[in-house]
Amino acid sequence: MQNPSGILMTRLTMEIAVALAAAIAGAIVCYGSLEIGTGWGDAGPQSGYFPFYIGLFIVIASCGVLVESVIEQRRYKQIFLTREQGYRILTFFLPMLGFVAVSMVLGLYVGLGLYLFGVMTIQGGYRIGKALAVCACTIVLFYFVFEKWFQVPLLKGPIEALLKIY
Amino acid sequence: MENFGNLMDGFGIVFSFYHFGLMAAGVLLGILVGVLPGLGAPNGVSLLIPLTFTMDPISAIILLTSMYWGALFGGSTTSILFNIPGEPSSVATTFDGYPMAQQGKATQALTLAFMSAGIGALVGVTVITVLSGWVTQFALKFSSPEYFAVYLLTFCSFIGMGSSSPFKSVVSMMLGFAFAAVGMDGMAGNMRLTFGITELIKGISFLVAVIGLFGLGELLQTMEEGLRFDGIHARIKIRDVWEAILSLPKHWMTLLRSALVGCWMGITPGGPTAASFMSYGLAKRFARKKDGFGKGEPAGVVAPETADHSAGTCAILPMLALGVPGSATAAVMMGGLMIWGLTPGPMLFIERPDFVWSTIASMYMGNVMAVILVLTTVPMFAAILRIPFSIIGPMIVVVCFIGAYQISGARLDLWLALVFGIAGYLLKKLDYPIAPMVLAMVLGDKTEDAFRQSMIFSKGSLGIFWTNSTLVATIMTLAMLLLFWPLIGRLVGRLRQQRTPN
Repeated sequence: MQNPSGILMTRLTMEIAVALAAAIAGAIVCYGSLEIGTGWGDAGPQSGYFPFYIGLFIVIASCGVLVESVIEQRRYKQIFLTREQGYRILTFFLPMLGFVAVSMVLGLYVGLGLYLFGVMTIQGGYRIGKALAVCACTIVLFYFVFEKWFQVPLLKGPIEALLKIY
Repeated sequence: MENFGNLMDGFGIVFSFYHFGLMAAGVLLGILVGVLPGLGAPNGVSLLIPLTFTMDPISAIILLTSMYWGALFGGSTTSILFNIPGEPSSVATTFDGYPMAQQGKATQALTLAFMSAGIGALVGVTVITVLSGWVTQFALKFSSPEYFAVYLLTFCSFIGMGSSSPFKSVVSMMLGFAFAAVGMDGMAGNMRLTFGITELIKGISFLVAVIGLFGLGELLQTMEEGLRFDGIHARIKIRDVWEAILSLPKHWMTLLRSALVGCWMGITPGGPTAASFMSYGLAKRFARKKDGFGKGEPAGVVAPETADHSAGTCAILPMLALGVPGSATAAVMMGGLMIWGLTPGPMLFIERPDFVWSTIASMYMGNVMAVILVLTTVPMFAAILRIPFSIIGPMIVVVCFIGAYQISGARLDLWLALVFGIAGYLLKKLDYPIAPMVLAMVLGDKTEDAFRQSMIFSKGSLGIFWTNSTLVATIMTLAMLLLFWPLIGRLVGRLRQQRTPN
């Protein structure tokens, strides 16, 4: 972090990237619609008829955004993300990504515990004992609120199966 | 006066301990959701919908609408005490609310905000009560082409009236339609756009999208800006509350003007956010002393709050009567209605008058209850924001993901929510409007069905949208006008410029 206000990305780059991504999404929609038929069948318009034009509109409109952002470059010369902001985003996003990945394998409860524990000790600077206590309380609270009170089962993994909690 | 009798029946149904309990629970949850950063009204309602699957529709809608009122109030609380708008629609409240709190007038600011919000909401419900009979009769003349025209009008008004680039509105809206198309095609019964992924057969739920776009996206944005709570300690003093209430009649003109702006923006899909900014601007323009604004002028709190809440309530009317929601939260609620097996639209007033009128009746009571509850619980909720973010942050994130998982118990939804979260952050930062995308996801199938049925009637000619009736022609012309409004506006501006040098 030698240069906290350093520019990581300009707005124009990001405008173009997002517009291109949208255009690709539109093209995919068009392609998917073509596969199922975009014409006129026995019972009226075929399934792909409506989505095909939707996809087409996405492509056209994102090209519009692209042209607009290039023409009005001066307005878009602003900074999109500074280094410091990028750092803050990553410190929030990466643990979140980790949480989802862990939950896929070990279930939401274990994911929640590890996530909260990690954020509290590494980012919050809490002592391990205190963090463990907070995590345990939270897991128990979530378990009772969702499984018992609202009766909605959450994603569980092998550890719950071992403990015979369903 | 038929509406009045119906309304009384509605009150009769709502009047029970169970419903009052739900109302209180909804309002409190709503305030919580409104106060917490990253969780807003649309997101909060999405999180609650899976829990209402087993309830009867009347109890469910009472819970959801009460949560909406609570969230609106919670959003104003953080605006005033922490200078952090809990909701996009309460941004305008920070302009004068936070300065007032800094000057030690937090109680007055909060009371003024809550009372004027309550008044705005009641004006909104009254408008709904009066108009709904009329709107329904109007809507009964509708067949597929008319429905498609109304949907088109809604979407075109986002393009024409929105503050962002029209291209960006189109991209966001059309992406919404594309997401809605994924999965089973309701009319023909075959799979669309699933690209061989079996978990996509059931489609992409708009609830997952809302949780990602509004919840996670907003959290990412809050994190990027760096989270600082410089809260002002609020202790509600009864004397200050009374003083503020007694000063309300002084603002009658602002109240009236803002309520009208709010009602208009709520019924037409301008939404509460636009309404609150507009009404703040108007209050400033018409004020006798303008320099007070931005430095703690009470009228600067009254104006946006009144408009915000009257728009929020009025947004329910087009949702119930036409099936066209006026705000993102109303769109989510409408999705809920469809999940409970109700079809929003004019037929709802005929088939389920008990549902419609108890909803409206509960809106009167819910708002009164919300004002009382929020005034008494503000200190408690302000205390929640003093819990360190390294504890409360992960909990908010986890609740969002649990909400996404609950909808249908699919693992893929967790990834989808994450992707929508990233998309929401990027789109919001680049000024793409998000509400049209949500609206398109909710209305996508209905719009497509209306379009395809019209096409079947007319054997593929688009002319049906102008020749079917004068009604449909009028709506379509209006829609086209709105669609090309950005172009027309620019043209008129250029003509005027050319004329002035001469």
